[in-house]
Amino acid sequence: MSSSSITSANHKFRSPRSGLVGAALAAGSLLLLSSCAVANSEPSTGGTSADLVRIVLPQEPPTLEPCEANLTSTGVVVRSNITEPLVERNPTTGDLDPLLATEWEATGDTEWTFTLRDDVTFSDGTPFNAEAAAFAIDRAVNSDLGCNVEGYVFGDNDLEVTAVDETTLTVSTVSPDPILPLRLSFVEIVPTSTDTAAKVREPVGTGPYKVKQWDAGTKLTLERNDDYWGDAPAYAEAEYQWRAEGTVRAAMITSGEADLAMGLGADDGAGDLGLDYPNNETVALRLTAEIAPLNDIRVRQAINYAIDKQGITDSLYQGAHIPAAQLVPEGIVGHNPDLKPWDFDVAKASALVAEAKADGVPVDEKITIVARNAQFPKVSEMSQILQEQLTQAGLNVELKMVDTTQHLQYQLRPFVSDEGAIALLIQHGNQAGDAAFSVEQYMTTTGAQSVFGTPEFDTRLTDASVLTGDDRESAYQDIFAYQNEEIVQFAFISHQTGVIGKSATVDYTPNSSSGDELRVAEITPAG
Amino acid sequence: MWTFLRRRIISSAIPLIVVIVGVFALARLTGNPASLYLPLNATEQMRTDFTERNGFDDPLLVQMANYFGGVLRLDFGVSLRTGEPAGEMVLRAFPATLQLAGVTMLLAVVLAVIVGSWAALKPNGIVDRISSFASMAAASIPDFWLAIMGIWVFAITLGWVPTSGVSSPTSWLLPIAVLLMRPFGVLVQIVRGAMVSSLSEPYIKLARSKGASEVRVVSRHALRNAAAPALTVAGDLAVGLINGAVVVESIFGWPGIGKLMIDSILQRDFAVLQAAVLLTAVSIFALNILIDLGYALLDARVRPTTRARKRRATPVAAAAQERKLNVQPTR
Repeated sequence: MSSSSITSANHKFRSPRSGLVGAALAAGSLLLLSSCAVANSEPSTGGTSADLVRIVLPQEPPTLEPCEANLTSTGVVVRSNITEPLVERNPTTGDLDPLLATEWEATGDTEWTFTLRDDVTFSDGTPFNAEAAAFAIDRAVNSDLGCNVEGYVFGDNDLEVTAVDETTLTVSTVSPDPILPLRLSFVEIVPTSTDTAAKVREPVGTGPYKVKQWDAGTKLTLERNDDYWGDAPAYAEAEYQWRAEGTVRAAMITSGEADLAMGLGADDGAGDLGLDYPNNETVALRLTAEIAPLNDIRVRQAINYAIDKQGITDSLYQGAHIPAAQLVPEGIVGHNPDLKPWDFDVAKASALVAEAKADGVPVDEKITIVARNAQFPKVSEMSQILQEQLTQAGLNVELKMVDTTQHLQYQLRPFVSDEGAIALLIQHGNQAGDAAFSVEQYMTTTGAQSVFGTPEFDTRLTDASVLTGDDRESAYQDIFAYQNEEIVQFAFISHQTGVIGKSATVDYTPNSSSGDELRVAEITPAG
Repeated sequence: MWTFLRRRIISSAIPLIVVIVGVFALARLTGNPASLYLPLNATEQMRTDFTERNGFDDPLLVQMANYFGGVLRLDFGVSLRTGEPAGEMVLRAFPATLQLAGVTMLLAVVLAVIVGSWAALKPNGIVDRISSFASMAAASIPDFWLAIMGIWVFAITLGWVPTSGVSSPTSWLLPIAVLLMRPFGVLVQIVRGAMVSSLSEPYIKLARSKGASEVRVVSRHALRNAAAPALTVAGDLAVGLINGAVVVESIFGWPGIGKLMIDSILQRDFAVLQAAVLLTAVSIFALNILIDLGYALLDARVRPTTRARKRRATPVAAAAQERKLNVQPTR
């Protein structure tokens, strides 16, 4: 028997041993039973309810701070749900719709005057007036908070905002800015009680919903704002969850656990429950046109001819994407409907490369395609196709897949300069609806994301930016045509579509803004 | 016992500091995360403001000194991404992973003991062969694939469990099942091997001839001696689970620390990354200490004492020696 030889010195350790094993097992089962609730979560209130719409996002909003609302992961929850801007761009018509402001006009070269609604209160009861509007704009654009919307829409320029009276607001810019109202559509209005020294996680706004509860890590619930000035939305509550995997988000739709799923890919398994919609994203290769061999325009043209754009969209995206000829898709002011995508012509591409080679251009110098992992569905497959197709034109092309931070080092100034010629695969989304936002960054000589420009081109761009109406539209259309003929900094690939999963329990029609701004008020119960 | 604990805690402190310093330096070697947090067309001025605001332009040693000073005051910094205190975020996420890992490990050990012992009763018998194949398959199947297949089969097709999330008791089933596979597979092999050698010892024959039931022979006699190698491996596997079942948490939306860590790495959220690593490292050291105490419980011959004596060659003592315990042999 095991116990017979134990000495007395060890005797005292015998009983605790078996007792402790028992205790361990008991603790283990307690763990199992008592915590049927997972730590870091609240118990669910139940399955579906006629008053609850359930939305699943690709990631948890890092914050709901309204001045960061141009970030997709924040804006998709905040914009026009919790907070509202003075004016809102209509994604279908491209026009600016009145929201918290009813009228606006340019009252000077650098001044705009807005007339505001007088029947609006914030969800905490404080009244909305010009003072609040001025405060919110000042906080977002002029302060030291480092708001994302400041850099995205206004750069270093400050605005001068004055509350003339309760319902009149004037906004002055440093230089003439015909699209100031469009820029202000990105500034969400918050009450004067909002912290100016730090960003807030849960904002107060004028929108149809307010934050009910945020279980950080698990889910976020909005509830209807009963003091909302406009029409009451159909759903009393909106519940947001997040799953990193597209297949899991699609599965939640097919299994009835969610009503809307954002950011799906074409073959994530949503099937008929996936709705395609144009999402304003354009994919292109940006070429370092000052580094050999990309410094010869024939090589850049060859790259354009070598890419089979229709083939890519057919094989990777089931034909849903549209081959692109410019940086902005249809619906953006400045889009040129007459521009055709470069033909797919390998013979022509090879001929151009050979011609350049004969002239002494070092076409054998390595060109590196740099692409970002998981930037959009099938990005790795697309990158491999591009490498292969460019190689068939006679170029020496390598592929480098990197993560976001490394990719940004190639994308933004100061660019990576010691790796030779780079063809950077970029995805550009013009949320704003005006070509100025794209060309300022990508086409001026000093643009934050531009690797090439010419003084003539710069002049054209500056001239266009101060025009209005039809003049503006045609000026930008000319700019895109000029880019394709004279500059060729880009090899455009396609205008993308996004996929939203929608269960049969709800009615919702996605538009080009849905990915950035999902208005819960536009979701209604089916039938 | 307390001397032992004190010594172990002190000797764990140094690797802990090395880990923190390492993560601190390596994270900052990836450069300034400004471009991740500022809009794409942010100006130089905005980048400079951001860098100054977060102290990234200070020399590395200064940053480190500030950080350690903060740690001593239990201030782990603020998340670049969310603005919340990093310590709070990490402490909020950790229990969820601990629950997942704890239940998984418990189940893995219990199931592995049952299956491994059963297989060892008749080496190369039918049960042994089936369990050998099954356990190797379990240890080899990629958890990502298993998770997606599990969702497709059990959640979508059969509708028995939710696809993901933490909404109901049944939402535990798939994540645990997926996470269980590898530890279970490895442990079955270990338990089976240790039991086979245990069961061939003479004292087992003696126990059987004295009329002890098979259950008593296996559990009370053989298993205790086979437990030590299983404990070593189980400890290593548990450490791997505590590290955050990143894949399982990402796929199932489990609000744990694994997903938090991987997001912090990708987003260069230094404060949260450092806090998460610190907490994980502390738990791993605590777990190792618990395992050492477990050896002491298992075998009367292994006792931590202050007097170093020649050790007896037993499986447990050998394992303990590996872990550098002092062993007092008995007569």
